[in-house]
Amino acid sequence: MKKLTLTLALALAFIFSAFCADPAYENAMKKQITAMKSIRSLEESQAVTNAFLRIAEAKPEEWLPLYYAAYLQTTAIFRFDVDKDQYLDQAMALVEKAEKIALDNSEVTAIKGYVVMGKISLDPASRGQSMSPQAMQLFGKAISLDRENPRALMLMAQMEHGMAQFFGQGPEKACGLAKNAIALYAKEDAKISDGYLLPTWGKPQAEEVASLCK
Amino acid sequence: MKVRLILLTCFLVSQTSVFAQTILSGKIMDEKNQPLPGVNVFIKGSVDGTSSDAAGNYQFETTKTGTQTLVWSMMGFKSQEKTIILEAGAREIPALTLREEFNELNTVTISAGAMETSDEKKSVILRPLDIVTTPSANGDIIGAFQTLPGTSTVGNDGRLFVRGGDASEVGIYIDGLKVANSYGTTAANVPTRNRFNPNLFKGTFFSTGGYSAEYGQALSSALAMNTKDVAARSQGDVSILSVGAGYSHTLADDKRSISLSGNVLDLAPYQTLVQQTFDWVRAPHSWDLELAAQSKLKKGGMLKVLARTESGGMELWQAEPGVVGNGVLVNLKNNYSYAQTNWRKAYENGWTVFSGVSYSHNQDEVRYDSVDIDRRNDLSHLKFSAVKDISDRISAKSGVEFFIHSYSEKLTRENLSRTFDENESYVFTEWDWYLSRKLVLRGGIRVGNSKLADKTWADPRASLAYQVSKNGTLSLAGGRFHQLPVDNFRVLNPALQNSQANHLILNYLYQTEGITLRAETFYKSYDELVVFEGNLQSPRDLQNAGSGFAKGFDVFFRDRQSLKNTDYWITYSFVDSQRSYNHYQTRVQPGFAPRHNLSVVVKHFVTSLKSQIGASFSINDGYPYTDPNQAGEMNSKTRPYQNLSLSWSYLPKPNLIIHGAVTNVLGSENIFGYNYALNPDEAGHYDSLSIQQSAPRFIVIGVFLTLSKDKNANMLNNL
Repeated sequence: MKKLTLTLALALAFIFSAFCADPAYENAMKKQITAMKSIRSLEESQAVTNAFLRIAEAKPEEWLPLYYAAYLQTTAIFRFDVDKDQYLDQAMALVEKAEKIALDNSEVTAIKGYVVMGKISLDPASRGQSMSPQAMQLFGKAISLDRENPRALMLMAQMEHGMAQFFGQGPEKACGLAKNAIALYAKEDAKISDGYLLPTWGKPQAEEVASLCK
Repeated sequence: MKVRLILLTCFLVSQTSVFAQTILSGKIMDEKNQPLPGVNVFIKGSVDGTSSDAAGNYQFETTKTGTQTLVWSMMGFKSQEKTIILEAGAREIPALTLREEFNELNTVTISAGAMETSDEKKSVILRPLDIVTTPSANGDIIGAFQTLPGTSTVGNDGRLFVRGGDASEVGIYIDGLKVANSYGTTAANVPTRNRFNPNLFKGTFFSTGGYSAEYGQALSSALAMNTKDVAARSQGDVSILSVGAGYSHTLADDKRSISLSGNVLDLAPYQTLVQQTFDWVRAPHSWDLELAAQSKLKKGGMLKVLARTESGGMELWQAEPGVVGNGVLVNLKNNYSYAQTNWRKAYENGWTVFSGVSYSHNQDEVRYDSVDIDRRNDLSHLKFSAVKDISDRISAKSGVEFFIHSYSEKLTRENLSRTFDENESYVFTEWDWYLSRKLVLRGGIRVGNSKLADKTWADPRASLAYQVSKNGTLSLAGGRFHQLPVDNFRVLNPALQNSQANHLILNYLYQTEGITLRAETFYKSYDELVVFEGNLQSPRDLQNAGSGFAKGFDVFFRDRQSLKNTDYWITYSFVDSQRSYNHYQTRVQPGFAPRHNLSVVVKHFVTSLKSQIGASFSINDGYPYTDPNQAGEMNSKTRPYQNLSLSWSYLPKPNLIIHGAVTNVLGSENIFGYNYALNPDEAGHYDSLSIQQSAPRFIVIGVFLTLSKDKNANMLNNL
């Protein structure tokens, strides 16, 4: 009888631990997502990236901490004085790790395209021609995986804008995409609650592209 | 109530330890004993940890107890782990050094003899796009390489000549597999092109000497071209040229892509409009079909297939010196096929494995006056190689290769034929050893065996590179190279042995953002070159008795930065080459090796015109030739060769390109040598005819349209 109770208790404990979200993970993520929003220096960026990487180490089944680490590595090249190619290569390595955990995930696919776009931005004349189709394909795939993902649309709008500039065309197509993205951001805003861990970034960038047509 | 119970249970289950706290602190340094900020320090399997600060210090609290693993990690550095037993209280960890991992970006690259084309890598000389936008190249890969150091332009031949070596001394590979007859078959003094479209390749590796043990059977140079990976999208590409037309269709999804393309080329309409020097009966014409497929396999493998078949021909009168009339009628038909497949996979344990097989088939039917010749060449190449990264400092590449080769020549009317069959096998191994990030040594050996020559030989190769300053690298390369004589010599004397060359190269490369300066000096010795009695058309008594050398230097300067929207490069190559070979009894300067070679390429993008305008200019000091009216061999030299080519690419829409190019705009009357009559006239004088260009200029106009759902796709590649 005792044995049965113990087995039952253990089984229950196991079921519960699998069933309920891990509060330690959630709290750690929440803390870093908040910290991420107030990054001002490369050191702060590095510290938050490292924190996400620690969470990724502790929770190897979660793609989100890797995603945020890759996001921070990528945005660092636009904000701080770093070895840009090296940062993007590292970001790509993190994205590839996240891809293995979350196959065909719209956010992961979109950020992969974002890393490729960062690569192009470093040498558009020689990289653009071979890498632009790759970035466009990734954004297209991210959109088809989740039609409600505003970041996929926003990034595609940025890419379209860059290409239109290169070819001396108007920004209309990019604006259209950006406006659709803004509508999706509004939808997303409605979902965001206190414990919301999923990506929410990118709205100002969409507004920037949309503001080109007035 | 229920919710509370669940939450309580969750809470109890997830609390696995008591609230004893340890404060851990320490310091991290790099190899130069400088504090290392940004290192991630944490307890393995937990989120407890921190990052080191600007002074390399760290401190954090943990509630973990007992035996735990402390990890120090930072991207680009080797992680360190340490087992510690945690007890409540403060604990100072002794200072620790993290070592930077060696990778392609932070270590020196061996650049002696090597010129790389790539979109991604750093130490590249050209970008793939440069190949198609070099005006003098007319979309031919080889034409673009003729603007690089160490090469010379031989305008009546069109093939690649490297540092005093003839065109057969350049080995051409696609994805590491040999391509036989990679140039179109042509008549004497009618320049040829490489058969393969630059559009197929994502990068190339061109070596002008001292190259890897992975390649052999090339005395002077290896040109390795790597095909593209899976295409990003489905599209159709239409090209309409003043000399032909083509269509290519690509189907792609995430994992696979396949392209089928077909082209027809006919110079006849063009030649009726533009006056030709040559006396054409039937202008050069050809068609080709090509299939390229790529597939990503599970877990990082890649499978590629490339197949091409083409057929072409031409007919022309070739004037003979000292003979009145049209001369000799030459008719040529060529059938060519090439197929290859290769598989590559990188494993997590540091192994990268490659295996591939290629097959080249070439058939020429030549009618020279009243002689009909049928020439066939078949070459199969099997290759298996593996790279093992033993650590971030040592990596080894090894492989085995087999070649099955058969060649035949037949006089059709007389029903006489001669053939040879050959089996060659090779093993190679090459080791890279990084002594520091600034110093790398490479040593390799290639062992070969030829069944026909009944011979086994070994070629040692070695090189090193040292980073002398932030942007400057000095490298040194040397080695021994063997090559069996060309097919039409071997079929006459199957006992012919390898010719041999030794290379020694010193290179300095300076690269900053947008600027490249490359200077190289070399010495190359030749031994056992083939010499014979008679002339090139009917050689007798062939033997490995020739020798020679080539020495010189070249300088390459490229600037993509100083002038807005402008990219230019300047190349100067000096080569002093002397060899006894073919019918030359004494050591002479070969006709294909001008001493001074200069080329300049400029490309400028005019945004307001949506156009790229390009110009390339080449000049050399002339080609030596033998004038039988004077004593000695190679006793004369032609006037300097020069060529100014211009191109204009107009991109009115992203998916449409209109391209025009003119070679030899100034119409300089270039002469590549002289043909002399075999016998003197009554006055004892040998009559001569100059070897000229087929026309003073060549003009090409093309329209390239890409059809795709993505309207920004374009065919910049196909220019």
